[in-house]
Amino acid sequence: MDSIFQILGRLHPLMVHFPIGLLIIALVFEIFTLKGKRKSLRDGITLLVYFGTAAAICSSIFGYILNVNEAYGGELVLQHQKLGIATSILSSITALLIYFSAKNNYEKLLWYRIMLLLTVVSVSITGHLGASLTHGENYIFESLGEDDENYDLEKLSATLAELNGLDSLSESQQENLNLDVRAILAHNCYQCHSEYKMKGELALDSKEAVFKGGESGKVIVSGLPNESELYKRITLPSNHKDVMPKKGKTLKKSEIELIQLWITHGAYWSDRAVKVFDEAPLALSKPNLPAERKESHPVDKIMGQYFEENNITWPEVIDDRAFIRRTYLDLLGLLPSPEEVAEFISDTRPAKREQLIEELLLDQKNYTEHWLSFWNDLLRNDYSGPGFITGGRKQITDWLYASLMDNKSYDQMMKELVNPSKESEGFIKGIQWRGVVNASQRTEMQAAQNIGQSLMGVNVKCASCHNSFVINVTLKQAYGFASIFADTLMELNRCDKPTGVLSKVSFLYGELGSVDAPTVDERLELLSEVMVKPENGRLYRTFTNRIWKILLGRGIVEPVDEMDNPPWNEDLLDWLASDFIDSGTDIKHLLRTIMTSKTYQLKASKYKSQEELKIGTYVFNGPVMRRMSAEQFSDGISQVISPMFYGVAYDPNDEGLSARRIWHREIKFDRDVLPEPGKRYFRHQFELSNKEIISARALISVDHSFVLYINGQRIAEGQDWRKVHKVDVLEYVKPGKNLIAIEATNEGNLANPAGVLFAMKIENEAEHLIEANTSWISTDQVPNPSWTSIDYDAKDWKNVKNYGSNNWDKLLDFKFEEDYNTFTRASLVKQHPFLKALGRPSRENVATSRESQATLLQALELTNGEFLSATLEEGAEKWLDEYGEDAELIVEQLFQKVLSRSPTASEKKTMLNALGDQPNKESIQDLFWTILMLPEFQFIS
Amino acid sequence: MESKYNKTRRDFLKEMSAASLAAAAVSIPGVSFLSSCDSPAKMAASADTVILLWMAGGMAHTETFDPKAYIPYSKGIESKKVLSTFPKVPTIVDDLYFSEGLEDIGSVMDKGAIIRSYKSGDLGHILHTRHQYHWHTCYEPPQTVQAPHIGAWIAKELGPANPVIPPFISIGQRFTVGEADELKAFHSAGFLGSEYGPFLIPDPSSGLESVRPPKGMSLKRFEARYKLYKELASKNETLGKGSDYQRESLSRSMEQSYRLLNSPESKVFDLSQESKEVYDSYNTGRFGLGCLLAKRLAQNGGRFISVSTEYEPFLGWDTHENGHLRAKKMKQYIDRPIANLIRDLDQSGHLDKTLIILASEFSRDAILEGRPGEKVKDQVNQPDVIEDEKFYGMHRHFTDGSSILMWGGGIKKGLVYGKTADERPCSSIENTVVIDQVHQSIYHALGIHPETNYKIEGRPFYTTPDGHGEAILDLFT
Repeated sequence: MDSIFQILGRLHPLMVHFPIGLLIIALVFEIFTLKGKRKSLRDGITLLVYFGTAAAICSSIFGYILNVNEAYGGELVLQHQKLGIATSILSSITALLIYFSAKNNYEKLLWYRIMLLLTVVSVSITGHLGASLTHGENYIFESLGEDDENYDLEKLSATLAELNGLDSLSESQQENLNLDVRAILAHNCYQCHSEYKMKGELALDSKEAVFKGGESGKVIVSGLPNESELYKRITLPSNHKDVMPKKGKTLKKSEIELIQLWITHGAYWSDRAVKVFDEAPLALSKPNLPAERKESHPVDKIMGQYFEENNITWPEVIDDRAFIRRTYLDLLGLLPSPEEVAEFISDTRPAKREQLIEELLLDQKNYTEHWLSFWNDLLRNDYSGPGFITGGRKQITDWLYASLMDNKSYDQMMKELVNPSKESEGFIKGIQWRGVVNASQRTEMQAAQNIGQSLMGVNVKCASCHNSFVINVTLKQAYGFASIFADTLMELNRCDKPTGVLSKVSFLYGELGSVDAPTVDERLELLSEVMVKPENGRLYRTFTNRIWKILLGRGIVEPVDEMDNPPWNEDLLDWLASDFIDSGTDIKHLLRTIMTSKTYQLKASKYKSQEELKIGTYVFNGPVMRRMSAEQFSDGISQVISPMFYGVAYDPNDEGLSARRIWHREIKFDRDVLPEPGKRYFRHQFELSNKEIISARALISVDHSFVLYINGQRIAEGQDWRKVHKVDVLEYVKPGKNLIAIEATNEGNLANPAGVLFAMKIENEAEHLIEANTSWISTDQVPNPSWTSIDYDAKDWKNVKNYGSNNWDKLLDFKFEEDYNTFTRASLVKQHPFLKALGRPSRENVATSRESQATLLQALELTNGEFLSATLEEGAEKWLDEYGEDAELIVEQLFQKVLSRSPTASEKKTMLNALGDQPNKESIQDLFWTILMLPEFQFIS
Repeated sequence: MESKYNKTRRDFLKEMSAASLAAAAVSIPGVSFLSSCDSPAKMAASADTVILLWMAGGMAHTETFDPKAYIPYSKGIESKKVLSTFPKVPTIVDDLYFSEGLEDIGSVMDKGAIIRSYKSGDLGHILHTRHQYHWHTCYEPPQTVQAPHIGAWIAKELGPANPVIPPFISIGQRFTVGEADELKAFHSAGFLGSEYGPFLIPDPSSGLESVRPPKGMSLKRFEARYKLYKELASKNETLGKGSDYQRESLSRSMEQSYRLLNSPESKVFDLSQESKEVYDSYNTGRFGLGCLLAKRLAQNGGRFISVSTEYEPFLGWDTHENGHLRAKKMKQYIDRPIANLIRDLDQSGHLDKTLIILASEFSRDAILEGRPGEKVKDQVNQPDVIEDEKFYGMHRHFTDGSSILMWGGGIKKGLVYGKTADERPCSSIENTVVIDQVHQSIYHALGIHPETNYKIEGRPFYTTPDGHGEAILDLFT
């Protein structure tokens, strides 16, 4: 019974051709009969539709049986099935329309013709889906550069053409043939048949395994393809259950023929290692610039030729306003001030653009605090995150900050990362969570993976589990690489299972030199020397390509971590990378070289979808429009409206005062817990000598709010813990005993971090510093009103707890000196929900590209997030103070500061309208929000 | 990213209507008929919504849903004698007993199933957040790429059930507590992109604030502000004419957000819409109100909602001492609201399509740290002889034999699956379940293909490692 169904099912692929053929011919004939011509075709059309319909119904039934019997799966099958049935229904309706109409008069029925047309559309789509099932789908992948079968089919055809018909092959021909065959096997078979995964006990990735065969015996009979199981399986019909590579996916004709040829000629196996996947050359030589081009800049000469070859005329260059914005944002991550913009625009020097770049490159601090984010992403360096809790992670910010300030050469930075000092060891140290981790995530392996990805643009991650399926890196190589960092011998683990094989120290690119030495330190030194050799073009191409992407929106190679993919302009990449080496790997030189080119200064090109950026389709027409990074966006707001952040997680000029906060110790189940909301009372008594007091200043910041008393006198209060209150207290302190009392409130509905930050400097015959610490006492009981006086008896009060500084960034303003005009750069703050929403990655893994697409969660954060809203409100107050109620001035200033231009007449009208006659805090705040949400602000164009 | 098996029926219809209106017109009414022809294992969903009730900190199975011999406290008893510190009580299901204090949940077990044989990962020296990461993502950290939370996978595959309710909502967990960075690490969409990340509501009673205009802004002002933005954006010509994908996506997301914040549906997040009686019946604290919010979301098109008792080191279910006393309190905290949630959704007819899961990262024991044969470093001092009631309870981390409860969404009613030993070690001894199976069962209920994967950095990344693990079909009707 089953076998009858099986036969019926397998008739489906045969059967389906009838409805397709019959119905399409019916439609063609029908077209011939338009305008009442060729009435003689009528009988034929009737029959074609009847038979076509019957065939469609049969096909659907057989198809259903086939699916049930042979357990196809997947959405594609489901769609095919639905459409198959739809076709049957549509053609049945067509047939019925014919059947029930008066004799051969149905051509008058418009409905009949529509139904016939629809039937044919439906059968065509069904057929196409069916073909996709049989011959494999060819989906266009969403992201850049995903193409599984990027090996050289043309080369296979060439080999085939060369060898076909020859009686015997030379040794080199045998070699080539075998390597081609192995490439076919690698791309089509390894996923199931390799030492990693041996379906049917068969592996095809080594000589021994191939000739040993699988569970049903040998798969190759030398000289006799037709008796070789392997050949038999790949030549079965594509829907056969035993067909290889798998049902629905067969090899191409040329591939099959090549395998046949190989077996016929004795199935020779070369000893050479097969480079299965395309690999970028390691070496780098500086290409000659195209001769006789009118462009002056080297990059433009190369691009001029590129444009010519692609029939593109040089696109338009941006104006001065756009240029100064772009340059400021790219080099410093800041907006230019209206004055700077005006001055630049009116500057008449011909080389003013080059001069601006030069000038900005000299602003070391802002350059450093902007580019820090790029490096933090690349080296997954962060101020918080998993791993820190058990000492399994280390920051390298000190080293990084100093390196950028000094414009340390790239090769030197690489050496220091790979062969690190204490300051830079965090990068290869990796992240260690408590407990046992997967073998492929040992910290030594993480070092190999991160150096591979970040610095060399090669994916070692796949190969740390098994031989890679996408590039030429093997498990052995990954372990060899990781062993450089290991102080004991490493045993190869395949997919977390020990293999018993011990690794041998080696670098992925052995041709650069040996890295083998007895100790880790010696090996790291060797590796650092080998890696930075100019012969290692990969290191320099990888970095150059990253910089190109940052500045122009799309890499010359994409994805930027997969440098074996083809560049869209090889000369451009190689020239820039070589020039970078020639400059002594000066990072600022590379930036300058790219940015002074006309190519960088082109108008952003418009792409309707990301598809247009894919390998193969992408054509350079100008930079890709970039979204401001989370840091650029926040810093922009801080610059022109009001600071977004007041504290840093990393303080480059780490100065004196401690950032520790204290709070009442709260206990639940014998454990210290987060403070509950409510008021807490703090006291601290201190004694001064009898000498005259010359000065006394206090600094205070309390999360969330406070009232400060000294010796019973109310002195100051504050609501915003991000601000430091600086109070002159000279008239309140006195020689002898003194008392500081603070009433502090923790707000909110839930327990949450709270803390008092306090320091006081008193000068008499000497300088005294009083800081909040665990000698202070506190209570959560409402005390008697005299609690602020020195005589109050505080015997029930307990010592406070030191809450450290972890929950709060360090307030830069927490110092006795006045410091105007500072705001905290977003690159220096700990990951923050606002920054996260705008795309700053959590740096547990290397993340070299930020998400460019806007998301709903992001828009929500911008639209109703309390954080942004509060900043804008604060800004509105400041603006109101500064510009009063002068609506015109406010609008003009806003456009100048935020967009670096004046509003158009119509924009001005709209804005003034919104502000009303009397601008107030709310209307200004809404204006801020509106202008910040504009694409013109959010995109670097 | 290349995606496989991740087309939804909606996408299918959308594509087809573009390809051929007629074909779609025929296939829309045909859908239900056609899918009933499918073999049963294929993509049919028994649930639209998932609620995960997260017992954070390691809930001892022997003190809750899998009671063993009750040993009352007496000064001087030996630790090794202590199996359960509560008597067992019957539930509505014959022969199914819970620990005292869970009577309410016991009374709704005729609507759901219990798995008594969950075995957590063996990750060595215990770190709660690492096990929680494993439970929520199915991957053990660290990973070479950032693994998505199960809620993010579901958000990605199915999208929102109601366009203005975010598809992945996490209720009850603050990120200002200890191990916060580790908690953040898995409350994430990982490589899927932040679009699918969690919408965080640490405090359910202020959930409304996240979905309405900013504090202090009237609806009128909010609308005017958006109108102003639209007007100004339309006038702006600096970026030139013509469209590009960057601007399109920005303006689309702004519009979505405006629609959500301005939508009457934001009332779903407003617990004050409930009668005082209902509110009070749930209100055992933040977790209870979280259940109430989850109920409202499930009734109005939530997709994946987690409600956590909240992880804070040494608090909640993380009992390192006073285990008995604290388990008692935790039971009071969860018992009533969970039973109410099940009952209310059942009554409103939503339980059929809502899969509710109760789980914890691992269990606890009085003696064993880790599990038999895989003992790891002790983190709690537990005297051999108990002289102080403080030492009476389950204080060590035990990684076998946990209970998982499930209701609705196609789950069998009254089922008991798996079993643990009645004597120490109270490990699973029948139908042991691991995390891959739990995830695949959830995906199965939702009709998400078991081999759903995306290509990231050249490798396919599956919902469960290498696509392994099969749904436990025995759990489903």
